Amino acid sequence: MRWFLRRIATCLVLAWAVSLVVFMTLHVVPGDPAELLLSTGGIAADPIAVKELRVKLGLERPIFDQYLAFLGGVIRGDLGTSLVDEYPVTKEIALRLPRTLELILAGTLIAVLLGLPAGTYAALHRGGLFDRIVSGTAALLLAIPVFVVGTLLVLLLAQTLKVMPAGGYVPFAQDPVKHLTLLTLPAIAIAKSLSAVVFRMTRASVLDALSRDFVRTARAKGLSPTRVLLRHVVRNALTPVLTVLGLHMGTLLGGTVLVEYVFNWPGMSTPLLRAVEARDYPMVVGIVLTISGLFLLINLIMDLLYAALDPRTRAA
Amino acid sequence: MTRLWIPGAFVAAIILVALLAPLLDLPNPIRQDVARRLSGPIPGSPLGRDEFGRDVLSRLIWGARTSLGVAFASALIAGTIGTLIGLIGGWFRGLGELLTVRLVDVILCFPPILLALLVVTLLGPGAATLILVLSVLYVPGFARVAYAEVLSARSNDYVEAVRALGASTGRILLRTVLPNIAGPVLVQFSLAVAAAVVVESGLSFLGLGVVPPAPSWGLMIRGARATMEQAPLMLLWPCVALTLTILTMNLLCDALRDAVDPRTPAQRPRRRLVDRLVPGLLPPPAVEPERVLDLRGLTVEIETPLGRIRPVDDVSLTVRAGETVAIVGESGSGKSLTATSVIGLLPPAARPVSGSAWFGDRDLLRLPEPVLRQLRGGAIAMIFQDPMSSLNPVHRVGDQVAEAIRAHRQTSAANAQAQALDLFRRVGIADPERRLRAFPHELSGGMRQRVMIAMAIANRPALLIADEPTTALDVTVQAQILDLLAELKRETGTALVFITHSLAVVAEIADRVTVMYAGQVVEEGEVAGVFANPLHPYTRALLAAVHEADAAPVGIPGVVPQPHAFPAGCRFAPRCAHALAACAASLPALEEAGEERRVRCIRWAELSGAREAAA
Amino acid sequence: MNGALIEARGLSKIFRSRGLFRRGRAVQAVRHVDVRLEKGEAVGVVGESGSGKSTLGRLMLGLLPATEGEVRFEGRPLDQISRAEWRRLRRRMQIVFQDPYGSLDPRRRVGAQIADGLGIHQVVPAAEQERRVGELLVLVGLDPLHARRFPHEFSGGQRQRIGIARALATGPDFLVADEPVSSLDVSIQAQILQLLGELRRNLGLALLFISHDLPVVRHLCDRVVVMYLGRVMEEGPADRIFATPAHPYTRALNSATPRLDPARRVKRILLPGDPPSPSDPPSGCVFRTRCAHAIEACAGAVPELRPFGEQRRVACIRAEEFA
Repeated sequence: MRWFLRRIATCLVLAWAVSLVVFMTLHVVPGDPAELLLSTGGIAADPIAVKELRVKLGLERPIFDQYLAFLGGVIRGDLGTSLVDEYPVTKEIALRLPRTLELILAGTLIAVLLGLPAGTYAALHRGGLFDRIVSGTAALLLAIPVFVVGTLLVLLLAQTLKVMPAGGYVPFAQDPVKHLTLLTLPAIAIAKSLSAVVFRMTRASVLDALSRDFVRTARAKGLSPTRVLLRHVVRNALTPVLTVLGLHMGTLLGGTVLVEYVFNWPGMSTPLLRAVEARDYPMVVGIVLTISGLFLLINLIMDLLYAALDPRTRAA
Repeated sequence: MTRLWIPGAFVAAIILVALLAPLLDLPNPIRQDVARRLSGPIPGSPLGRDEFGRDVLSRLIWGARTSLGVAFASALIAGTIGTLIGLIGGWFRGLGELLTVRLVDVILCFPPILLALLVVTLLGPGAATLILVLSVLYVPGFARVAYAEVLSARSNDYVEAVRALGASTGRILLRTVLPNIAGPVLVQFSLAVAAAVVVESGLSFLGLGVVPPAPSWGLMIRGARATMEQAPLMLLWPCVALTLTILTMNLLCDALRDAVDPRTPAQRPRRRLVDRLVPGLLPPPAVEPERVLDLRGLTVEIETPLGRIRPVDDVSLTVRAGETVAIVGESGSGKSLTATSVIGLLPPAARPVSGSAWFGDRDLLRLPEPVLRQLRGGAIAMIFQDPMSSLNPVHRVGDQVAEAIRAHRQTSAANAQAQALDLFRRVGIADPERRLRAFPHELSGGMRQRVMIAMAIANRPALLIADEPTTALDVTVQAQILDLLAELKRETGTALVFITHSLAVVAEIADRVTVMYAGQVVEEGEVAGVFANPLHPYTRALLAAVHEADAAPVGIPGVVPQPHAFPAGCRFAPRCAHALAACAASLPALEEAGEERRVRCIRWAELSGAREAAA
Repeated sequence: MNGALIEARGLSKIFRSRGLFRRGRAVQAVRHVDVRLEKGEAVGVVGESGSGKSTLGRLMLGLLPATEGEVRFEGRPLDQISRAEWRRLRRRMQIVFQDPYGSLDPRRRVGAQIADGLGIHQVVPAAEQERRVGELLVLVGLDPLHARRFPHEFSGGQRQRIGIARALATGPDFLVADEPVSSLDVSIQAQILQLLGELRRNLGLALLFISHDLPVVRHLCDRVVVMYLGRVMEEGPADRIFATPAHPYTRALNSATPRLDPARRVKRILLPGDPPSPSDPPSGCVFRTRCAHAIEACAGAVPELRPFGEQRRVACIRAEEFA
């Protein structure tokens, strides 16, 4: 129990640190932040506009007050308003977040359902044809950037073969089949790296577990091969896979931005990219905080799962 | 090594081409020529022109220059700063560690592209911004690697030795820690470069990375995507270039990682195939009902990178009901492999190539796996040396014992747990109800070994094989375990094969002893007889090396020969005080030397006679 | 005091594990230990896991700071000397480790590692180093040409010899050997023990020999100190402790040691249960939870390490009853 509380506390500390880093970014850059935000293409900004922006962003106040206001806002759920159209950042995120989450979930599911069994099989038949082919494929998948995969999928399946739609979105309640069809390609694109990572880690982890003494003991007890495999080998091989899954989610979350862009999936990437281009700082900050927070939460869940699987962590 | 050179050559080639871009006679990559936009291959532009009429090949090569330039620059900056931070944090610990390594760990909480976008919002897109943000992103990776290496180096005895010698901190860092860091840092560098290429291309694809008209693969893909319907091929060139570069870099990273942390490539697992003789061709020996195990001429072969070795060579052993037979030998004697062969648990690379292991009227070495599996954990049980690693750390010990029971008997889970409780009591585990639900790491070494014994005796084995069961335990705990084994034996009449390197333990618990050296049996017989009157020079020397007599122990000069370099003749001859030329010439056979005594030495009678005469 | 080369008085070491949000757990590795070595004397420290014997060795070398108590080398307390003097003192006390595989840097040639001590303290001029390294290798029974090789080319016993050569390079007066033979085969153990014995005699080294194995120290050491859970249970001349152990723990340890010769076997005293944790030791006599002779008084004050017979000391209030 103490372990659990400690872990939550660490998570909160990290969340606080993330908010601090995000806050400091504005103040750490050389020069006046408002000026930076308003100058585009090397053209100096209008001094009056700069002053207005400074007031709007609260830059006139002492830095500590700014931070407290910022932190207070984050805790209350108020992330400010967009510089472009005054729309509350939180509202925009609330609208978009579920769609992004759906994509992440679908991608993770595909990756795990593919990667775990494939990795186990490859480890058991190491050096065989399956192992070599799938390992090679995994290496290739890791090398192709996610936006390339997305674009090529569109080129191949949507444009050339015309079997899948190129992109877009339809709410599930409206047309479940179409919704899922539109979800397929982006989910596959999201899953491409994660499935390769899960495959590799599972393979390595199962190989390691196979050579452990307790597997030898299990076999010495006369247990059936299936039981040895599931209860002893795979069961112990899962924990490193969890760790690497959690770590890779960061890359996956970044990849989501690219995939949503390629497939016109109306998740958080739309307001994000628009905001970056328009130098809409509060919107960008709000979205970055949200996704980073999500990342921390995912890792916390992974840690909890890890502890559920491995009793030794709970003892520490 | 090929794993290193092939990707290495590719990467080097790509880097070279990128570096030499200004020197190659390429068309201007940013000069537009709208008239020829989206044309296919034309003279002067082997790959065609893009949506603004710019030469694709030229942009590809100059794009490589941009992407790789940004990637290398950021990796170098991140590497320098990160490694320094890791070194400081790892060496000084405490507050220093908190301020350095833990601090940079916060950066890892951000998905990379998002942090990049945040900075781009502020500073605007461009190569300089990219280098800045990528450097920040990869500092934690380097810091962690350096930190981990410093910590591991610090805990190494050899660093403590240099500290004990009085070396200054600087000298220690320079001479011992830094050289060990170089490898992992290099691997991290290659990882950072590859990752940077990916992130930069992704950002450029979004239009938020490198600023046009500067060429970048990401930008090229972005542009080609817009004109995907008219000129699909335009999309492929930068995709291929990008993928190929990242792929070869990844392969290089993997190869570097292996080169820095080499482990022997394990062999392709061989199936446990023993030549299946036609049943009935070799009749079983006359069944002597009291013989529980009759091992004859077992030879085990292993494929290694240095060739085929035979760490177990022509080993024979008999065990009768209720008897304790000890196999004693030092490292490299083959005693453990002999035991694991009997039970059919050899490592994948090893296989028995000749001999038989009669258990009753069945040859264990030739039984099909399902039949053998029924015997394992049932009629034949085994206890291993290290109880910590031999128990599954994630399951409760009670469950693991119950599992052994249910593998051989049809019984309910509750029943199995009850039997496990009984077994725990029998093997002397205090507070057994509570201990049933404990995990292995919650128990002491002695208790874990008791759990292992409980698992082994759960199904009333006729034969129990114990492979150095007390070596990893404290002396007082060892006494407890030996006592327990003796008691169990008395109760059940199980035959016990006890493997150990300690002659004293043999003397205390065994009826008969088999002495092994370099894969072979060199002497065997009743314990009292062998120890009172050892016939083989190795046995004599081993007894003289024991710290018990009033005289100081005497070592045996030389070292045990390695399996790929076994001498042609008597394997102990190079270290034997009584060796003659004849000894080294050919391998001595195992001779009968009296009742139930056998020796593998051509001079045993002569030496024994000389001793008697001298006495 | 009187001519002792190195002396520890009331030495204690408590390890605290601390971390963010973690409550500190104190492992009491060594508690109020007194040990002294005369010049050229060999003292064996015997104990099982958790006894604190390895920590004691490092404390005496000053490789770990003591929580309480002091260590004096030739009368001077180690925690009160200047840094420069500290470095100079390092010459005179050295350590040989248990693990022959971890104690040598795998990336450097063994000659260079032996020469480390020569270089740091300028024992001989640089030009002479190679010759001296060769001499040291011969001293430990190896070939001078081996200096050019890397550690992985040697066997465990040979690496241990190299470790000894490295320790001897600075010409120490005091050598701590931390379980130097435990990882080696029996036949090699005897070789290394023979070597240590010879070196001790020829070089007049004071030797602190740490081991978990009582018989091993018997031939090599003049005196033996028996430790349990961080405290000294008994100390005295090696052969007397062997022949007539006084403390119940020593007697149990002695009886538990397996013996070849049935005539030498002692009736086994089986200790019940497991050793308590060093982070939560019992009050009073730390051995009382497993001692067959424990009485109420044993839980009270910690028994004093008091004189018992000739040159012996025992920490047990009932020692006389079992003599």
